[in-house]
Amino acid sequence: MSKKIYTRLALTNIKNNRKTYVPYILTSVLTVVMLFIMHGLARNDSVGEGKIAQILMMSCVVILIFAAIFLFYTNSFLIKRRKKEIGIYNILGMGKGHIAKMLVFETLIIAGISIGLGLLLGMLFSKLMWLLLIRLINYNVRMEYMVYGETIIGTIVYFLIIFTMTLIYNLMQIKLSNPAELLRGGVQGEREPKTKLFLTAVGVLLMGAGYYVAVTVESPLAAIQLFFVAVIMVVLGTYALFTAGSIAVLKLLRKNKKFYYQSKHFIAVSGMLYRMKQNAVGLANICILSTMVLVLVSTSVSMYLGTEDMLHVRYPKEISVRIYGTTKESEDKIEAIISEVAEKYHVEAAEQTRTHYAAGTMLLSDSNMKLAPDGNYGEQDVREIYMIPQEDYNQMTGENINLKEEEVIFYTTNEKKYGWKEVQIEDKSYHIVKELGDMWTEPKDDDRIVEGIFLVFADTEQIEEWIQYICDHSDMKEEWVQNICRMRYETGFDMKGEEEACALAEEELVQRIQNEVQEAEIESREMEKREFYGLYGGLLFIGIYLGAMFLMATVLIIYYKQISEGYDDRERYQIMQKVGMGRREVKKSIRSQVLLVFFLPLAVSVLHVAVAFTVVKKLLAILYLTNESLFFICTVGTIVVFAVFYAVVYGITAREYYRIVK
Amino acid sequence: MEEHMALLDVKNVKKIYTTRFGGNQVEALRDVNFSVESGEYVAIMGESGSGKTTLLNILAALDKPTGGKIYLKGNDIGKITEKEMAAFRRQNLGFVFQDFNLLDTFSIKDNIFLPLVLSGRKYEEMEKKLEPIAKRLEIEEILGKFPYEVSGGQKQRTAVARALITKPQLVLADEPTGALDSRASDELLTLFSDINADGQTILMVTHSVKAASTAKRVLFIKDGEVFHQLYRGNLSGDQMYQKISDTLTVLIAGGAGNE
Repeated sequence: MSKKIYTRLALTNIKNNRKTYVPYILTSVLTVVMLFIMHGLARNDSVGEGKIAQILMMSCVVILIFAAIFLFYTNSFLIKRRKKEIGIYNILGMGKGHIAKMLVFETLIIAGISIGLGLLLGMLFSKLMWLLLIRLINYNVRMEYMVYGETIIGTIVYFLIIFTMTLIYNLMQIKLSNPAELLRGGVQGEREPKTKLFLTAVGVLLMGAGYYVAVTVESPLAAIQLFFVAVIMVVLGTYALFTAGSIAVLKLLRKNKKFYYQSKHFIAVSGMLYRMKQNAVGLANICILSTMVLVLVSTSVSMYLGTEDMLHVRYPKEISVRIYGTTKESEDKIEAIISEVAEKYHVEAAEQTRTHYAAGTMLLSDSNMKLAPDGNYGEQDVREIYMIPQEDYNQMTGENINLKEEEVIFYTTNEKKYGWKEVQIEDKSYHIVKELGDMWTEPKDDDRIVEGIFLVFADTEQIEEWIQYICDHSDMKEEWVQNICRMRYETGFDMKGEEEACALAEEELVQRIQNEVQEAEIESREMEKREFYGLYGGLLFIGIYLGAMFLMATVLIIYYKQISEGYDDRERYQIMQKVGMGRREVKKSIRSQVLLVFFLPLAVSVLHVAVAFTVVKKLLAILYLTNESLFFICTVGTIVVFAVFYAVVYGITAREYYRIVK
Repeated sequence: MEEHMALLDVKNVKKIYTTRFGGNQVEALRDVNFSVESGEYVAIMGESGSGKTTLLNILAALDKPTGGKIYLKGNDIGKITEKEMAAFRRQNLGFVFQDFNLLDTFSIKDNIFLPLVLSGRKYEEMEKKLEPIAKRLEIEEILGKFPYEVSGGQKQRTAVARALITKPQLVLADEPTGALDSRASDELLTLFSDINADGQTILMVTHSVKAASTAKRVLFIKDGEVFHQLYRGNLSGDQMYQKISDTLTVLIAGGAGNE
């Protein structure tokens, strides 16, 4: 047979199966576009510094893996549906060699369309995406965007590999089965599902444990460690419960004769049992994907929108200067530079704080402090200790306190007060004169990674003794010890004045201090802002980008589920009518089942997100996003948008479903 | 209306199919008239395309006639609304189909219960009704199994049980032996004769001479009309078989002669 015939056959086949092939090709095209654009961005020099490039490259890998799994999954679904058709070709006299050739042509056509169209659209939209990314990350580069040959060739090669793999899979399927099997292909495995009690129990335990960890985790530090454990437990639990748990519950319902033998429940329960067997994994996939979309988008949106907040939490003052091993000389130099610059630009360094302090870590049990622990930071009772002389305290608060040697003022960053009368540092005991409700150094905040305890001492000498003690007992690296062993000085202030003047002053201040006072470290909120927006803008971009991709996958899975359900239900629908069920009743019953099947994953993923909320909130706190209501609004907003989208997709595909069933 | 009322009265039933684009009209039933008395066992025969399936669908109220009327116990089926139709069918008619039409998601027992559950009966009541029927049809052993686990004969007996459990006025059977091997067919036909002997009215559509020969009366349909009918009277099964065969030969020859 000639090439022409195969081409025509392949084209006709695709056309005849357009109900399933058009979405498949569309998905392939979109996946090509997504990989192409993402790789193009990751490779691009204009965004190619540090964190963003890394994040982009990581997303690229995510897309790579996702594309392979997803196209493979879809393909296996398609070929299963087509087994009968191929069986007929086989019986009508096409040898397996011919069929293989036909499949090769089909794959070639699909690959050609997908890759060709994908590259074309990719090139069209990559500039747009690049501009969007640049905008989101507040990047001010005037660089031309260009597509690298590497991206084009890489994309082509990668997708050719995927399509070849799917082809090989299909050929194996054809090769391994005889025509009779192929003819039966569509209808197989109608056996009643077995109850897997063990798996159900495992599912309940995993999900429960995951939820428990998520809800009860207290400290942000523990949240980091446990988050992934919880995620994995919940993912596994979801799969177990969707597959085994749903069937166990339905069988339990069936055992309850009074409940089961009612016309409403009778059909629903047995129908669901059958549906869950077929669809459990697909539904669990939808559930996990939806959860990912929701978490990804809601967190990245809130981080982006909360960037200003984060900056203010992380950098309470617009500018802060810190000196390790401070001397009067350096301090004076800094003060001089600040006032010179302020004068030059007619701005004011407002609300300036000046604090001398020493810092270290300790173990706290009751009111006993053990300095210089062995560096095991995972423990719950690790605290940071800050020691401040009363001179600074008096200056900052305007009070006139005169502490005795064995007296301290106490302040904790935890939101509660301890109310202790005494603390014990190593073997020395101090009387607490008062415990402060707030302090200029830091606001109270339970989401601080490690609780910070501030002690005001009568004089600097005592503080120096204690740091010496810490140094002597520390097993940390030499350069760290060097930093710890000396008194530090920190001054912070906001700039007040005309906006432009402030910006210029800030820039010059940073320049001068970096150059003239080498021992000082300076942080400027404005400078960090760029970094922050770069990071969170990049994350938002990725969040929405990958979110869109997962959404596409969800949509496609729903669509294919509806179609396969439709073909399966058609016969049942007819039988029930013959046996005496009204048309309307049949429709109602099927609709309620389908609704349940498709909205169950959404409901479960919303539950997942609700539980994840507490953990993610803690993780965000580590990144200095403490604006809980913002995160809440973003999460709810994302869920609402997603649910509406989901419902629309469901509505469209449901129509397709009824068309089939009719 | 006559003083004596037949169980089923089919009067001047007509069915015309119009092709999708309204061009051609196909006359499936021209003018069908017959009646079935309570307790009868009637077979309707005809070649494929003669309109028997159309007729059965109309009798089952699954399809509407283009003209004519059907009375079940004097009630005009055409006047039953769409809403009441499902319930009417459930309460008055029992169905046995060629391809069994069992639901694969239900056990044998639940398949039999289906019409009762749809009517909202209590579980205890259903159990009570099932017991004698299951015994009679010898399906007690397989009640807990699923359709894919049992033989064709067992499936068909399940379908019969499902048809009988509502105690219908009339059992409609559409080619009930069509998918069975000869042994299972014989068993099923014996069963039909037995339940008919108990007083159950049966109307069966078939083109199997053997199946028809077990009926008390056979109607022949040709070109959308009742062409002929045979009463069994005192004939034996074999004699009836012979008579039906002869009639069919005439029917086909006559058909050929008309063309």
